[in-house]
Amino acid sequence: MRLAKELGLVLASLALAFGVGALVAQLSGLSPGPVYRELIRGAFGDQYRIFQTLTQATPIMFTSLSFLIAFRAGLFNIGAEGQMYLGAFFGAWAGFTLILPPYFHTVVALLVGALAGAIWGFIPGWLRARRGTNEFVTTMMLSYVAIYFTSWLVSPRGPYHGTQWANQTVRILRSAELPRFVQGMQLHWGLVIAGLLSLVLWYFLFRTPRGYELRAVGQNPRAAQYAGIDVPRITILALTLAGALAGLGGAAEILGTHRRFIEFFSPGYGWDGIAGGLIARAHPLAVIPAAILIGALRAGGMGMDRAGVAPADFASVLQGIVIFFVVAPELFRIFRRIRRERRVLVHSQP
Amino acid sequence: MSILSLDLFLSALRLATPIALVALGETFSELSGVINVGVEGTALAGALLTAIVAYYTGSPGLALLAALAVGAFLGLVHATWAVYLRADHVVSGVAINLLVAGVALFSTRILWGWRGTSPAATTMNPWIFVVLCMLLVVWAQVYIFRTPWGLRLRVVGEHPQAADTAGINVNRTRLIYTALNGALCGLAGSFLFNNLGRFTDGMVGGRGFIGIAAMVVGNYRPLPALAAAYFFGLVDALQMRLQAYIPSQFSLILPYLLTVVVLAGFLGRANVPKALGKPYLKEGR
Amino acid sequence: MPTEAVRMEGITKAFPGVVANAGIDFSLFFGEVHGLLGENGAGKTVLMSILYGLYQPDSGQIYVRGELTRIRSPSVAIKLGIGMVHQHFMLVPRLTVLENMAVGWEPRRGPFLDRLAMKRRIEALVEEYGLSVDPEAKVEELSVGEQQRVEILKALYRGAEILILDEPTAVLTEQEVEALFRTIRALRDQGKAVVFITHKLHEAMAICDRVTVLRKGKRVGTVPISEATPEKLAEMMVGREVVFRVQPKPVSREGKELLRVEDLTVHDDRGLPAVQNVSFALFDHEILGIAGVEGNGQKELVEALTGLRLPKAGKVYVEGQEVTGLSARDLARLGLVHIPEDRQATGLILPFSLAENLILGRQREDGFALGPWAQLRGRIFRYAAEAVRTFSIVAPSLSVPVQNLSGGNQQRVILARELGRNPKVVVAHQPTRGLDVAGMEFVWEKLLELRDKGCGVLLVSMDLDEILMLADRVAVMYRGEIVGIWPREEADKHELGLAMLGGRIAAR
Repeated sequence: MRLAKELGLVLASLALAFGVGALVAQLSGLSPGPVYRELIRGAFGDQYRIFQTLTQATPIMFTSLSFLIAFRAGLFNIGAEGQMYLGAFFGAWAGFTLILPPYFHTVVALLVGALAGAIWGFIPGWLRARRGTNEFVTTMMLSYVAIYFTSWLVSPRGPYHGTQWANQTVRILRSAELPRFVQGMQLHWGLVIAGLLSLVLWYFLFRTPRGYELRAVGQNPRAAQYAGIDVPRITILALTLAGALAGLGGAAEILGTHRRFIEFFSPGYGWDGIAGGLIARAHPLAVIPAAILIGALRAGGMGMDRAGVAPADFASVLQGIVIFFVVAPELFRIFRRIRRERRVLVHSQP
Repeated sequence: MSILSLDLFLSALRLATPIALVALGETFSELSGVINVGVEGTALAGALLTAIVAYYTGSPGLALLAALAVGAFLGLVHATWAVYLRADHVVSGVAINLLVAGVALFSTRILWGWRGTSPAATTMNPWIFVVLCMLLVVWAQVYIFRTPWGLRLRVVGEHPQAADTAGINVNRTRLIYTALNGALCGLAGSFLFNNLGRFTDGMVGGRGFIGIAAMVVGNYRPLPALAAAYFFGLVDALQMRLQAYIPSQFSLILPYLLTVVVLAGFLGRANVPKALGKPYLKEGR
Repeated sequence: MPTEAVRMEGITKAFPGVVANAGIDFSLFFGEVHGLLGENGAGKTVLMSILYGLYQPDSGQIYVRGELTRIRSPSVAIKLGIGMVHQHFMLVPRLTVLENMAVGWEPRRGPFLDRLAMKRRIEALVEEYGLSVDPEAKVEELSVGEQQRVEILKALYRGAEILILDEPTAVLTEQEVEALFRTIRALRDQGKAVVFITHKLHEAMAICDRVTVLRKGKRVGTVPISEATPEKLAEMMVGREVVFRVQPKPVSREGKELLRVEDLTVHDDRGLPAVQNVSFALFDHEILGIAGVEGNGQKELVEALTGLRLPKAGKVYVEGQEVTGLSARDLARLGLVHIPEDRQATGLILPFSLAENLILGRQREDGFALGPWAQLRGRIFRYAAEAVRTFSIVAPSLSVPVQNLSGGNQQRVILARELGRNPKVVVAHQPTRGLDVAGMEFVWEKLLELRDKGCGVLLVSMDLDEILMLADRVAVMYRGEIVGIWPREEADKHELGLAMLGGRIAAR
């Protein structure tokens, strides 16, 4: 089965990546054994830590799906970080400005966040569709714009500066809170929403005509056009959805974890989303484990740091190496194909 | 207003330099048919290596060489993936950016115990880079359009099969120019270090991507790309001075927003090399 | 005593899934034109590509001027005096003739490209061989015939004594072919060795001194022209008695107008008029062939008729209803479908499965979907299975990526898809390009079936023989205009060839 082979390749790449990681650790004066042990312990050691891992993984699931939906349409959404910030801020805004019944308020706030992100995805989408402007650069640039803009909003002289001791908004109302699973732990229902979304996205891409069209555009835009598919429309749809997903993730992070918008709250979830999308090889169902892997690396990194065996940033290096090798199965496959071709040539003597 | 002054234009020249260097490097690799979005990470790597070598050896010259070397190395890595292993060009570049970002944070921690920054180290005069950049651009303009190698470069990017049948090694050409791109990005990173005096992990700040934008605006020609880079540099310099008058975030936003506006208004990608981003398969069917 | 230029012995070359050359022997003398004849896919281009160093043989030897050599790359071949003019030109459109010719062999002045010296060298070559070109012109501005001249001059500039021409007449008009033949004879008389690759029997007979016939990767035989007859060569090419492949049955027409084009003007990508004031009509039970050399507006005409390009002026009607400017999807719904010219680039999505490709463009149809959000996969698979049966598509399963299928099977997928829409008008653009004989026959039969059922088929093709075999009426397109439409019985091949070059004849 093709799926089993792909899974095997991914696991092989992971194994290779961790092997190389051990080497790097050794060369940097760290001992691989304790490093990996503390890494795993930090991520999965006890219930608290597992919850931490999942908490870190939740926003990454959203941003991975964001990267993924654009990627499937042949586009690169590099601006998930900024889209997430906008979604986070406007979700928070809806959280402390609107007066609505509980849970309903949550849903509305989430949708507001998604809408904000959607707009931020729509702009580069429209530019790409109508003017051919490269979306890699525009999403990237707009990301910076969004991050600085939201920073201003909660800066001391900004309009939504809510507390004296930090650049953040006031707290959202109780009615807008996204419920957590366990008292005292930050893990919230955003995780479930993300999980459901990955199923929805899978269904969309592989079981609906629209999703078929999106994939077609991603594989061969000319043929898609010839087949009567509205390529510009799909482009705009894909990037708008990507923005919405990132925005939703940001709103969920605020409503669930922080309960207020905090300047620079994201330690790079947007970038992790790109990593997650790549590691998941753009399969919606693989996004959950991919995001958990990245969340584990983050949480594990903090654990390593606390235990004093390695700086937390070693986890970032590991993440980089993992991506390197997971993107590499393309390469393994190509290597194998090249070798297979040569073998055929050698063996086809008359 | 006292904003417009010689000081502003000199500042613009300096700030434009890393953008111009990346634009030039990317022009070379894209003319040969390779898209390299790893320029951001490569520049960061250049800055990092400059910091490390300058700190430990005290020699800015050696540091510069290290930056060039690491840049060329990353360029080779990207070229290997994109050209020989036929990975998606953009994905490979993104992977490099992510990897370098992680390594940068880790290295500063391991070496100096700080997260993402380095201590100060010996620098060289950043103006050397500014002048070097201008000379390189002039050289590039002549090289690409008036020499045999420049002709071969252009043919490889436009019609690799034609280049192949003329006896030119397409993949090796792409490898060389992508390595050159990497070296120029390393140079850009070295400038950033020498301009600031220390390494910080955010110091490239999107300038790699703005460099790509400058190349697009310059329509794949070195001199116009330099002009575009100067424009972006001017905006950057302006932005710094405006911070006294408007909230800092707004002026920080300015260069990025302007890049989007310029790219949006810029129609006609007339000179995109036809074979850009497509792997060259020699033994096809 | 003619000297041997090239001797290839036992050349074998295989690609994944196909053996392109199997133990081929080939010899070539200076002062001869040696034809390499065979169907599409017989292995002619591969063999010569090996000689030119583009491929390495799996086994076999090559002797050039009597010496055993390994030709590892084109630069080695060029040093040996071998030059090749490919079917698809190796020219960069954006660069000038001078630049295209110079690349790789640039005259230098210090570190610079010596353009003046190059210009003088080109002028010298033009003098010597009588092939005129403008060194400063951009290749994209030249006609196809002129571009071919540049390719030949390029090979000569690089010192070719052995010249390989791969299907050189595919893109030429009859008059340009005559000019080319004159050039080839001149080169031969100068002592050069010329290999003339073609699948056209009559051309091989017209220009060659000897003909080697390849079939399915093997050499069938070599015949001097004095002993060659069309029947003999044809039999060698195909391996059986060649009968006129397909023949349209007489059919009665209702005179219903299915497609009408009025004063259609279409611009190309550069904004220049590619189709100018074209008018014609297509009726039931007929095949209307549009003949013409590639590049006279056929592409833009087809795109305008199939909803891929907005016409600048004029109107199009399908069964009396105006459809000008409608999208491909709307046109399909009204009964106008399209068999595209380049199946892999525009007709199929290679990584998608067989089943997915069979619904490409039809994914929103009522039988396959409930609105944009629900796909009826059961029905899709049943339909796909049926299509595979009806069109004899050879594939391991319905889920296999269509890129794994052969060219002929890929074309069947497209036919199954488009004809499965029960169209009224079919616009077929080069539907048999790159197919072997079996594949071509299948396509022809299907087109005739459509015609017999009552559809109107617009067959746009560069292959005049194909059109003359199938069409009820023949139109010729030249420089964006329809210069004439003839009923088949009145169509004379010579007259048509003349019309394809713009010769003035009484338009009917």
